[in-house]
Amino acid sequence: MNRHLPKKTGHGVRNALAACAAASMLAVSGAASAGVIKVGVSLRMKTETGEKYGQMVVDEFEAINAAGGINGHTFEVKLLNDECKSDIGVANATKFAYQDNVHLFIGSSCSSVSLPIVDVLHKAGVPMLIPHSTNYKITLKGSPWVYRVPISSRFSAAAAAKYTAENIGTKIAYIWASDAASQADAQKFFEYIETFHGEGPVYAEQFQEGELDLRAHLLKIKAMKPEALMISAQSQDFARGLVQSYEVGIPPSVKRIGGSAASNRPAPILSGDAIKGVFFHAAFSYADPDPKVAEFVKMTAERYGVANPDHDFSQAWDSVHVARIAIEGAELTLTDDSLAADRAAIRDALGSVTGYVTLGGGVVDFCADATPECRDGNKTPVLIEYTKGGEDYEIRVIGKTTFGADFGLASMAEEAEKLRESLDN
Amino acid sequence: MELLLDFVIVGVSIGIVYGLVALGISLIFSGLDIVHFAHGEFYMIGSFLGIAVILFTGAPYFWALIGAMIISGVLGVVVERVFYRRLTRGGGGYTVAGMGMIICGFGMSVALQNVAYLLWGAAPHPYPVGFGMPIFLGNIALPKSYFYILICALVLMTVLHTFLTRTKLGLAVRAVAYNKDTSYLMGVNVPVMISLIFGVACAMAAAAGVLIGPINYVQIEMGYLMLLKAFAAAVVGGFGSLPGALLGGIVVGLFETLCAGYLIASYKDIYAFLLLIVVLMVRPTGLLGILVKVKA
Repeated sequence: MNRHLPKKTGHGVRNALAACAAASMLAVSGAASAGVIKVGVSLRMKTETGEKYGQMVVDEFEAINAAGGINGHTFEVKLLNDECKSDIGVANATKFAYQDNVHLFIGSSCSSVSLPIVDVLHKAGVPMLIPHSTNYKITLKGSPWVYRVPISSRFSAAAAAKYTAENIGTKIAYIWASDAASQADAQKFFEYIETFHGEGPVYAEQFQEGELDLRAHLLKIKAMKPEALMISAQSQDFARGLVQSYEVGIPPSVKRIGGSAASNRPAPILSGDAIKGVFFHAAFSYADPDPKVAEFVKMTAERYGVANPDHDFSQAWDSVHVARIAIEGAELTLTDDSLAADRAAIRDALGSVTGYVTLGGGVVDFCADATPECRDGNKTPVLIEYTKGGEDYEIRVIGKTTFGADFGLASMAEEAEKLRESLDN
Repeated sequence: MELLLDFVIVGVSIGIVYGLVALGISLIFSGLDIVHFAHGEFYMIGSFLGIAVILFTGAPYFWALIGAMIISGVLGVVVERVFYRRLTRGGGGYTVAGMGMIICGFGMSVALQNVAYLLWGAAPHPYPVGFGMPIFLGNIALPKSYFYILICALVLMTVLHTFLTRTKLGLAVRAVAYNKDTSYLMGVNVPVMISLIFGVACAMAAAAGVLIGPINYVQIEMGYLMLLKAFAAAVVGGFGSLPGALLGGIVVGLFETLCAGYLIASYKDIYAFLLLIVVLMVRPTGLLGILVKVKA
């Protein structure tokens, strides 16, 4: 730059400018690393609800900063929308890992997005804390960089299946959307019924995400007279299937069951009265009488105008606080040169988080091994039933159950081996 | 037998909706010699407008249908006059400007989707009407919304047919569709007739959007697949033929529903396009189509 200064400029001025430039470069370089923990967040924020829980994540980190940070360090949070699309999620994760040099990645909401991100962050060596994705394969891949706050489908689908078999029946029809979470929910559900009750699905078919007309499936199901119908899909596909199931004449006596996405706010809003009596598994219920839940609901109502937050809200909140607890115990240098060491320190610190009680009442216990037993933190699904649909929907808790850390893994050994191989390639 | 009847009811109900959108596509093709690729977006916007009419005025569903048709029709006229009409200024009329208009249609599709996103967001919207439980004839369910679709489609078809065959304005529209130069010489105001064609076609798409609303939620991406299905319906029925468009819609709806019912339901969308390919191979003019001729 100095080469272009006019010749009239004296040496003194030129030197002063050079000194200023050098000083400012040093200052910028120092500010970019020392004392700043960079967090990259990628969530599904296609709707107003998604935008609100995304904002809540940012706000919670800012609140920690306002309270003095952690061990003198403050958070710098970057929030991106992956629209529940795997290509966008991978692009976000790549940017965070290699361009923004984040120390921690939080994301994504959708299993279809989190699954490929695991590979990206495993190669980049960035700790990944999953706030919402439930597909069991995510931790089965065995990456040492991955931790999950929500409940894996191997626990939650089994809880719903157990309840269905014991209280409704085992003659069940399944339709599920092509996204990873919905597939896993349905698959683990009917595997449980087959394994423990010896009854195969009456009907089991997949449909494309966003499919507008599910009536051909539903008419076939109607003719088979099942005792229950499981529609495992993201909230809008679930709602559509639910409404159309009544439209084609499947009687109300056939119990409707949702997957984990049935808990998302749009589901009862879109379904209206059709959702009454539907039950699903989730990690949290705003109807829980726990005072901590009441306080959380009050906060979301006041700050974000959401009086009945779903488990996407609660788990986003839990994820921030799990990260906070982990980082409190991590020894961080936070310079440009220490990036890899800081990332590894946060990874190891996450592995030492135990006994964190989530808003839903489950307990997150992580440990160091790169196994699902250690990385599926919460093992307590909640079974919830809708008692009213629409904007001001209402729910009731049917029950909670806690599984052993190794539940369901015995039958997954071969699949786990293949997933680990693909991760290493 | 009951299952077959169930499939037929569902197939006809969705087929009529395909037919209404296909009707607009065929109408525009017959008048302007172009395929309007933004037509799915008029279907989507019409559906949103129906919700807006209900929410802002408290009007019943029928008036929402009429309101959405009128507003979408006017919007169609504006789009044609402001955007598409400019492409013909280079000379050669609509036939010569056809390729530019097709590309412009793609652009218009993206633009309208984004306008809808700004106005209504990406989240799906439930239709604020309820038809209650279906009527049961034994085990066969007859949802009331299907009756509405059937009755409205029949009324709209009758009105359109009467307009085109029994009125002077309709005669002028048909004359323009047949030969624009001769129509000019006969004193027909061709640009006005073309705007009218566009408006009526967009109103038809809006009607389909409002009719499908209570069955499927309304969202900004809903137009894309409907356009493809309606395009298949228009081709199967005979491109440019108005009765053919409705017939094509019903045939496509029935075919895909029956195939999904008796074969693999997950491949439902594929069946419609398989039918399209077969029709193009065996009878390229479609069921009621006429041989392609050079038009002015």
